[in-house]
Amino acid sequence: MSVDTVMVVFGRVLETDGITPDSDFFALGGDSLIATRVLSAVARESGVELSFEDFLAAPTPESLAKKIAGAAG
Amino acid sequence: MSVVVVGAGLAGLTAAVDLARAGVEVTVLEARDRVGGRTHGIEVAPGRWVDAGAAYLGDRHTELLALIDESGLKTVPTELVGDSRFALGTASDGTRAGRFPPLDAVALGGMFDLLADLTATVRVDAPWLTPGAAELDALTAADWAEQHLTHPDARLFFPLFLGEMMAADPAAISVLHLAFYLRSGGGIRYLNAFEGGAQQDRVAGGAHQLCERLAERLGGRVRLSDPVHAIDQDAAGVTVHSASGATRAEAVVVALPPLLADALAYRPASTARRSSGRTARGCAIKVQLVYPEPYWRAQGLSGWSVNAEGPLLSTVDDTPPGGGPGVLTGFVTGAEAHRFAALTPERQRAEAVAQAGRLFPQLPPPTACHLTDWVNEQYSSGCYAALLGPGDWTELGPRLATPQQRVHWAGTETSTEFFGLMEGAVRSGHRVAAELLAPRQVPYQF
Repeated sequence: MSVDTVMVVFGRVLETDGITPDSDFFALGGDSLIATRVLSAVARESGVELSFEDFLAAPTPESLAKKIAGAAG
Repeated sequence: MSVVVVGAGLAGLTAAVDLARAGVEVTVLEARDRVGGRTHGIEVAPGRWVDAGAAYLGDRHTELLALIDESGLKTVPTELVGDSRFALGTASDGTRAGRFPPLDAVALGGMFDLLADLTATVRVDAPWLTPGAAELDALTAADWAEQHLTHPDARLFFPLFLGEMMAADPAAISVLHLAFYLRSGGGIRYLNAFEGGAQQDRVAGGAHQLCERLAERLGGRVRLSDPVHAIDQDAAGVTVHSASGATRAEAVVVALPPLLADALAYRPASTARRSSGRTARGCAIKVQLVYPEPYWRAQGLSGWSVNAEGPLLSTVDDTPPGGGPGVLTGFVTGAEAHRFAALTPERQRAEAVAQAGRLFPQLPPPTACHLTDWVNEQYSSGCYAALLGPGDWTELGPRLATPQQRVHWAGTETSTEFFGLMEGAVRSGHRVAAELLAPRQVPYQF
């Protein structure tokens, strides 16, 4: 899953524009509840099931895309 | 103009103050010996109050914030510092950082995606006009979960989420009501969140003070312990029959939850009902355990817990700021509230204290246990708000807030914005006052 695709998912669940590759999900008003919506989108689109802790460790589009690639590889 | 307001909760008193300010002769009739309705304060130590009823607000609750300011009151942030406790019957039960339960995140995310999709489709200002309203209104939230939630973790969490969010048993509400409620309150994230959401703040010293301050402004115009039982209307005005006698006015505002409003007799009898046999009481019982201090904080715990087994399905630290006793508030909601309400007070206390002790080890016995059963509260008929069952929105929705000649309606259930919350109540009060003060477009017909 590309950084761009993750940015689209962030924008959709946070209902906001202007997501950049280093936007921190939680700094943009994200919380644990909607973080699960990112994880469900990741699972749907890439087949990779990440945990909430994985997301806490990689809360930007760039770091999350890297994590997904690592898990998929 | 003269107006009788029935009910001295936030909605009724907000309306009464607006009307009095505009020069209307107002009389407020209240059944209880106190004002406040579904807000109620308990003094747990001298000068230290907790909310036994409605408590929370967020920065989108603009009318409530204006009222707080106008009343000379302040807000205090709801603090959630430390780890949470979970007892969900999974292998990862116990202590965890943050509020996220030890359940499958992807499964919960899928559930929230589905709920977000539902929420997006609803016509919040007129739910009965939602595309596919009849289908959404025919199905209960429990039916919906059965059809759409496949993962056991989603099925486990769904009723807990609904219990906490809207004090509802999923079997009691329609999918349309669920979608409406979530949308009306600002969406799933806003409704669920503490910081940056609907639980961000509380009223310093207790939300009950709001109604007390409003009542002070109205002085002798508020009559307590004066339950209303019937309302007559005719070509010349209304007669409101209460314990103290008959009060005559040009119009009446019924600022009661719909189930209570429908318990009054209306003459002529053509006044249409605004609840049905499927409209249920909000199922919330608040249990407040008072300890010499908030011991859980010393153990790095926030006081927040989520539990699959009752009675306390969630707990939160409600310790009043400024030192003094520690208060752990437990929420008994949904179907569990009915089971718990039927127990003896001794048994209720024993179950609540035992569960708190399991959740927060080394907790000594509480010095006091306050239990507020809103489900069976005679003059509330449930809390947080009425639960609209299958068919209710399509049948009753259009008349929830529509005046019937000289009878006008207020209350959080008449507000499509922030329905069920204090904000909805205040907005409904302003709305009904404006409605009465506006020039009449259509003459009365009797």
